[in-house]
Amino acid sequence: MDILKLLFEPYIFIPLVFPGLVAAFLLLLIIIWLERKIAAKVQLRYGPLYVFKPLGGVIQTIADLLRYLFQEPIVPREADKLAFLMTPVFLFGLAYLPVVAVPISPTYYAFRSDVSLLIVMALTTLAPIFTVLMGWSSNNKFSLIGGVREGYLVISYEIPMFLSAISMAILYKSLDLVEIAEAQKGLWGVILNPLAAINMLLLMYMSTSKFPFEIPEAESEIVAGPYTEYSGIIYGLVMGASYVKLYVLSLVYSILFLGGWNPLPINDPMVAGAMLFVKAFLLVALGAFLRAVYPRFRIDQAISIGWKIAFPLSLISVVISLLLIMGGVSLVVK
Amino acid sequence: MISSGERELELLIGPQHPASGHMRLVAKVDGDVVVELRPNIGYVHRSVEKLAEVKKYLQIIPLVERPSLADTTANNLAYVMALEKLLGIEPPERAKYLRTLLAEINRIHSHLYGLGIHGVMIGSSTAYMWCFGDREPFLELAQELTGARLTYSYIIPGGVRRDLPAGLGERAERVLRYMENRMRDYFNLYFNNPVVRARLEGVGVLSRHDAINLGITGPNLRASGVAYDVRRAEPYAAYPELEFDIVTEEAGDSFARVMVRVREIVESMRIIRQVIRKIPEGPILHESYEKLIPPKLRESMKQRGMVKFPSVFANLRVPPGEAISRVEGGRGEVVFHIVSDGKLSPYRMRMVTPSFRNVILFEHLTRGVRVADIPAIYGSLDYFPPEADR
Repeated sequence: MDILKLLFEPYIFIPLVFPGLVAAFLLLLIIIWLERKIAAKVQLRYGPLYVFKPLGGVIQTIADLLRYLFQEPIVPREADKLAFLMTPVFLFGLAYLPVVAVPISPTYYAFRSDVSLLIVMALTTLAPIFTVLMGWSSNNKFSLIGGVREGYLVISYEIPMFLSAISMAILYKSLDLVEIAEAQKGLWGVILNPLAAINMLLLMYMSTSKFPFEIPEAESEIVAGPYTEYSGIIYGLVMGASYVKLYVLSLVYSILFLGGWNPLPINDPMVAGAMLFVKAFLLVALGAFLRAVYPRFRIDQAISIGWKIAFPLSLISVVISLLLIMGGVSLVVK
Repeated sequence: MISSGERELELLIGPQHPASGHMRLVAKVDGDVVVELRPNIGYVHRSVEKLAEVKKYLQIIPLVERPSLADTTANNLAYVMALEKLLGIEPPERAKYLRTLLAEINRIHSHLYGLGIHGVMIGSSTAYMWCFGDREPFLELAQELTGARLTYSYIIPGGVRRDLPAGLGERAERVLRYMENRMRDYFNLYFNNPVVRARLEGVGVLSRHDAINLGITGPNLRASGVAYDVRRAEPYAAYPELEFDIVTEEAGDSFARVMVRVREIVESMRIIRQVIRKIPEGPILHESYEKLIPPKLRESMKQRGMVKFPSVFANLRVPPGEAISRVEGGRGEVVFHIVSDGKLSPYRMRMVTPSFRNVILFEHLTRGVRVADIPAIYGSLDYFPPEADR
């Protein structure tokens, strides 16, 4: 009983169970299946079907995971072995680490900080470093190009994404995610500052290489980019990392723009958490759906989107927030 | 890796690469810019020309189909046309129409094949699946006509193997109407997709002058504004009696090459409708060959609308001489040159395929483009390595 109680302590429950590791893992299993299923629907196919047919092959991803587990992970002779083997672990860990600062209800969080938005945003910027390292350590030309592409993309999406998030912080006059969510009891952020919302959504998909920005691992150009030399479960980890990163960013996005856990029918942490999870899940699913719609941009086009479109838009959205504040929109709950 | 003082990185794209096909592209890149790209061909050379010298004339029909898998009718037709010139026979009218029908069905599904591969090369798996899915009705149509899905061997000296099945006209009309509806979806989701436009427009521009000088053929030539089509320049089969336009685009970029293929699909559908409407009654095999078939077999053959070759055909002897024939296939002009010395096999058979004539574009179009443009240009050429290597 004590153990169960301990499990439901926020500082354990949030990072390990929900919205942390277990939830992320479940989402990973479902979203990869869903992505294939959605794409199949658009493309007039069945998609995964045969593993557990009654539910349309929903556990296909588990079968794939088992296959990854038993596949021999091959380490190239010329690779930098330590970096090669450690980067997937760091990549996955860092992709899901920001979740510790995400609250799931007004009263339920691992820790409360005045600057939790900054903590989350800062932690999400760490993972790409390991993608670049991965490209370098594989000692493969395609991996190298993929790593460099990732590096170029990072510098073009990171600044506007940060600015878009900050513009909402200006609007809510807080960097605390709990306060930001509570401030949206009435109007959601997406209505107050739609420009920032659209901009951040675009950049979120760009940062997790969803189509049309699936550039670092563009298959027809550079095989699998930084992941070219990876196989077995370490490939499973790197493949999962970008989904998990998208999931964490979607949680933050839901809190910033989609009212977080609002509207809240009953004030229970789990209901609030479920509310948040559903919103984040829909955002991840939208990202998965884009695969069926868009081809991929060229790297120079993506970079110019980052600098020439997203960057000015993020500056404008900061101005919009400032104007709204000066216009006397009061959202702060104290 | 790069040693000091060197700026260029040599990339070996293929033959083990998701988008290389059966070939290797040796790319020298400076940052993201391609300095030089050399196609390294010959990985799937099957020595069709040499094999033809030891095979009998009828055995060569399936052989010449194999290299161009998606575009078999063009090779089949071109070879048989050259053979007929040597034999000095002309197929009956109905057979000519049937040849045209199959050639156009084949052109449509060959173009869809090319468009689909191009789609997945620039990252649109939907275009790939749609094109390959929508090839299926046409493959089934061809199957109903010939009995095979891809390697038809339908066209034989003096005619065709099978007559038009009853009711194929209506079914073809249904397929064509389906495809016309689908075309709208293709434009909404793929051809007018801003990302597709951004990736293809202005990429790999081939000027009219260069296209002519390099000897480019097929849709790639017409995308540069040259209205050249063998069906018009040197009409064969039933084409002189049919109305159709030669599709050209002016831009000469990857998108123009895609658009030429798309509009040619529409033209081909127009031709198929005309063929079905205009097809004359009559025999499907030249009468001098029909006479060789035993009377009993001839009767059942006429009833079932299928030709079973009499055994004397296995040792078909062709008068000495040489003949050349040209056919407009899906990917471009196919040329066959047969030299006969009166024996059971040709003395020499030369087979010029469109892909081999277009392979020079890899080097020509990719100078100074981005790495990501390589597949965008490759796919737009509808280049098929086995066809080029033969």
